[in-house]
Amino acid sequence: MLPNWRDPSEKTLAVLLLAPAFLLLLLIVVYPIGKLLYNSLFAVDKDSAFIGLRNYLDVWQDPLFWNATQNTVLITLITVPGALVLGLGLALLANLPFRRKWPVRLALLLPWALPLSFAGLIFAWFLNTDYGVVNDVLRRAGLQSEPVSWLLKPNWAFAAICLTVIWKTSSFIALILLAGLQMIPNSLYEAAEVDGASRWQQFWQVTVPMLMPSIMVALIFRTITALQTFDIPYTMTRGGPGEATETLAMLIHKYTIEYSSIGMGSTLAVNMFLISLVVTGFYLRHIGRDAA
Amino acid sequence: MSLAHQGLWSSPMLRWAAAALVVFNGFFPALWILLTSIKNEAELVQKPITWWPETPTLVNYIKAFTDQPLLSYLKNSLIVAGCATALSLLVSAFAAYAIARLNLRHRQLILTCIVASSMFPLVTLLVPIFETMRAFGWLNTYAALILPYVVLNLPVCTLVLVSFFQSIPRDLENAAMIDGCTRLGALARVVLPLAAPGVFTAGILAFVNAWDEFLLALSLNASPAVRTLPVGITLYQGEFTFPWPIISAALIVAIVPIAILIALFQERVVGGLTQGGIKG
Repeated sequence: MLPNWRDPSEKTLAVLLLAPAFLLLLLIVVYPIGKLLYNSLFAVDKDSAFIGLRNYLDVWQDPLFWNATQNTVLITLITVPGALVLGLGLALLANLPFRRKWPVRLALLLPWALPLSFAGLIFAWFLNTDYGVVNDVLRRAGLQSEPVSWLLKPNWAFAAICLTVIWKTSSFIALILLAGLQMIPNSLYEAAEVDGASRWQQFWQVTVPMLMPSIMVALIFRTITALQTFDIPYTMTRGGPGEATETLAMLIHKYTIEYSSIGMGSTLAVNMFLISLVVTGFYLRHIGRDAA
Repeated sequence: MSLAHQGLWSSPMLRWAAAALVVFNGFFPALWILLTSIKNEAELVQKPITWWPETPTLVNYIKAFTDQPLLSYLKNSLIVAGCATALSLLVSAFAAYAIARLNLRHRQLILTCIVASSMFPLVTLLVPIFETMRAFGWLNTYAALILPYVVLNLPVCTLVLVSFFQSIPRDLENAAMIDGCTRLGALARVVLPLAAPGVFTAGILAFVNAWDEFLLALSLNASPAVRTLPVGITLYQGEFTFPWPIISAALIVAIVPIAILIALFQERVVGGLTQGGIKG
């Protein structure tokens, strides 16, 4: 029987309505995952020889891979807690009873809406050796006699990238946490006050526990995006000096696009996928335990 | 406001300081770029640098448009983000309606599948997406970016729209169907108009996401004619050095549309973010 197109049955309609979303997921996510695993077993391109796990052995022996992995993990370990602390601070300040709410709200929304790549460009300009505002302020404060080339020194470049990532991503966390703060009922603070809790105790025993669900949401999404860090190091240092700030995402991009080495690019991507899987799995288990 | 805060923060001075801190943190980078963009060439190479422009000029803006194809980048970004937004809304509104309203057995599983796709690191799919687009002959075309961006936006848009659809009373829809509307008719005439604020919120989030995306745009559409703003500005080449004053002007041009959008619709953006908040 042909379906009645003008007034389809509920089941037909459901299938029709869900089809575009699932076709796209199939084309852009599911098929690529399969392709990725398949590619990783071939030399350079699909026309080249099947080499089994050779790519994996090559990748695991490649110091560039371990360097990029270390940088990526380090960026994640530094910027996720960093952005959480700055974001929480901004949220607490933004939650004060201002008469006009929009300046503060816009101040949180603007960095969120700014492309990561622009944040990288703007902070690179701040840190410019000759004309950057950072060196200028340090000189005026009498803390510096010679201008520092921040982005040309490995450790400073790494720190600069972490700082930029923290600044750029903290506003999103602040927005999520601000919404969480506004949900905490006043009566909880009043009760704590009656019990004689100090402001510090109220923060740790009312605010933080009540905010935990929002904090977890922010942490998960921030961690997943931190593992994929690309835009900010690319625009600030291109991974340099040397490979001091090269992340896994940048290495994948380099092999795939610049060297056209699909096999190595795919192998790196599988490795990166496994790393994110471990991290996500850890979070999900942790949340599952908290919920129970 | 809590009692806890009242004691300490009753001082207007402290409140002003807090607001100033948040505002400085949010606006300073954009403000500094704005100041850089209106300094003239002589002032820019002056040492020590000036903070406030001595002779403001718009020459960098003119140069941004004449020395580099900024207008073409702007056009590409508008087309890509616009099409991706429209398509994201269409696809996710369909899916969200089915999830929120129709009698589905695996409702939760379907929603989880869609949302879980956003947990997937996009970077790891760069290689196969690149290959797929190359196979289709779509490298350096708008479609190469629009389709992945729709997938990128699918989780947020679907989450926002599901919660909006669920907030519309079923009775309104049933009444329309009793009056002779088909289910699709009721969707088009009753549900969608009532969900308009939700569609709008999802649309802004989708637009910002697409406007900001960098990695795919850099990898799939690097040819100058199809570069979007983030790629175009990052790959700006000066004759001798990186042309910071022109870059600053170009950044301001690229930031203004998005800044206006979020300034006008702040509350909706915040609401949408906390409902389906998925973006670094």
